[in-house]
Amino acid sequence: MAAPGTGDPSGPGPSGWDAVQLHPDDNVAVALRDLTAGQEATIHRTGGDRRILLPGAIAMGHKLALAPLGAGAVVLKYGASIGTLTADVAPGDHVHVHNLVSNRARAGG
Amino acid sequence: MPLREDIPGFAGYPRPDGTVGIRNHVLVLSLLGLTNPSARRIQRAVSGTVLVATPYGRCQYGEDSEIHRRQLLGLALNPNVAAVLLVGADRKTMDGYAASIAASGRPVELAALDDTHEDHLALTDRGIRSAARLVRDASRLVREPVALRHLFVGVECGHSDATSGLASNPVAGRAVDRVIAAGGSAVFGETIEWLGAEHVLAERAASAAVAERIVAAVARRERAVAASGLDLLGNNPGQENIRGGLSTIEEKSLGAVAKGGSATIVGVLGIAERPARAGLHVMDAPAFSPESMTGFAAAGVQVMLFTTGHGNSFCNLLAPTIKISSHPAAVARLTEQIDFDGSDVLRGAENLDRAGNRLVELVRSVASGQLTWGEILDEGEEAFVRVGASF
Repeated sequence: MAAPGTGDPSGPGPSGWDAVQLHPDDNVAVALRDLTAGQEATIHRTGGDRRILLPGAIAMGHKLALAPLGAGAVVLKYGASIGTLTADVAPGDHVHVHNLVSNRARAGG
Repeated sequence: MPLREDIPGFAGYPRPDGTVGIRNHVLVLSLLGLTNPSARRIQRAVSGTVLVATPYGRCQYGEDSEIHRRQLLGLALNPNVAAVLLVGADRKTMDGYAASIAASGRPVELAALDDTHEDHLALTDRGIRSAARLVRDASRLVREPVALRHLFVGVECGHSDATSGLASNPVAGRAVDRVIAAGGSAVFGETIEWLGAEHVLAERAASAAVAERIVAAVARRERAVAASGLDLLGNNPGQENIRGGLSTIEEKSLGAVAKGGSATIVGVLGIAERPARAGLHVMDAPAFSPESMTGFAAAGVQVMLFTTGHGNSFCNLLAPTIKISSHPAAVARLTEQIDFDGSDVLRGAENLDRAGNRLVELVRSVASGQLTWGEILDEGEEAFVRVGASF
């Protein structure tokens, strides 16, 4: 896992990361601190860091989309499915319980 | 992974049954709800004792009755328990428990309502005198240096947030890996929090049979939740998890299983079931931490690693509970709750291996006598799991 604290020398370094992509397959990143609307956030990724303009605030520990994703798309974190989107999202958008639902332990499912 | 015999051990209390205690409790164990007030009076009167009192003990049957008995007896046989005073009603039931405890080599005494003609104050008097003798005898025991392989660690999480999955759980996992590599044992449970990560766990199973039991345990609980019509959202993940950024049970599970480290999973335990061999186990049990940890303690766990996001004060009674957080604000705020600060991992100032080593050092220190915040503040409690209704 490309977790913070692994001492990866690439990019601006751990202290400069605002969010981290935990697995190369992930389509969301996790905020490492409270991020504000309009901020250009530095996202640490295995393949190289990138910057994304945030349309809204993202609290520490919350997720932001790394790519445009449509409703029905499977959200990947830790390289595994954590649920399905119920609405379209743009890069930098907050991904949470308002637009992401579990695929498990559901009646009839 | 190479066997790390070079990791120093700890100073513990060797027991006659071959286990090693990291504490030297005299346990006042009330076997049914009727005698809990008397047991409480006894415990308050005698320093050096701890109280475990079940609210149940009658009108149980089948698997529920069996698991209840296994929890009571398992707690009495926890390595951290030096001696036991049983408080109860009828001698026949109590003699059965006493025989099993005596077979472990532990001193055991009885205070039974049968012997005091239902006089609860006479019961209290008898119990105080017995407990006092047990404490004096237990106080003669001394710690001895032992190898780390004598340690059985329980790993739990509560009020998790994204920092748990990013830092605290992987750090706990590194510490578990080191205990296992030294020949020790560990267990994590909370079956519903394997949901979405069961493929990860099954791949680490020692055999196809163990892998099948893991997947089947998750499927059974998933079916039960789905059949009930319950939406896990708001229950698990709970409101604290959701505020912390966790959106679904799958997301929570994938972060949660990191606390079990990377060792081979050698077995699946039932609630309060004692492992037959050393190594990493999982326990098929409820996810609520008070119940989960009582299951661990009854299986023989001496020390708990408990990861949390923004804080969780609850501790197990018999097994010292090391609270771990990597949330910078929680660590700063909860100065008398969090025993281990992993926030430097989140800041990028410490890597997971170094933090894991630091946690192993704390475990060794706590195993040798250093008190946790929870012990100092008397946070410990046991919570009995029920798997069926009373008749």
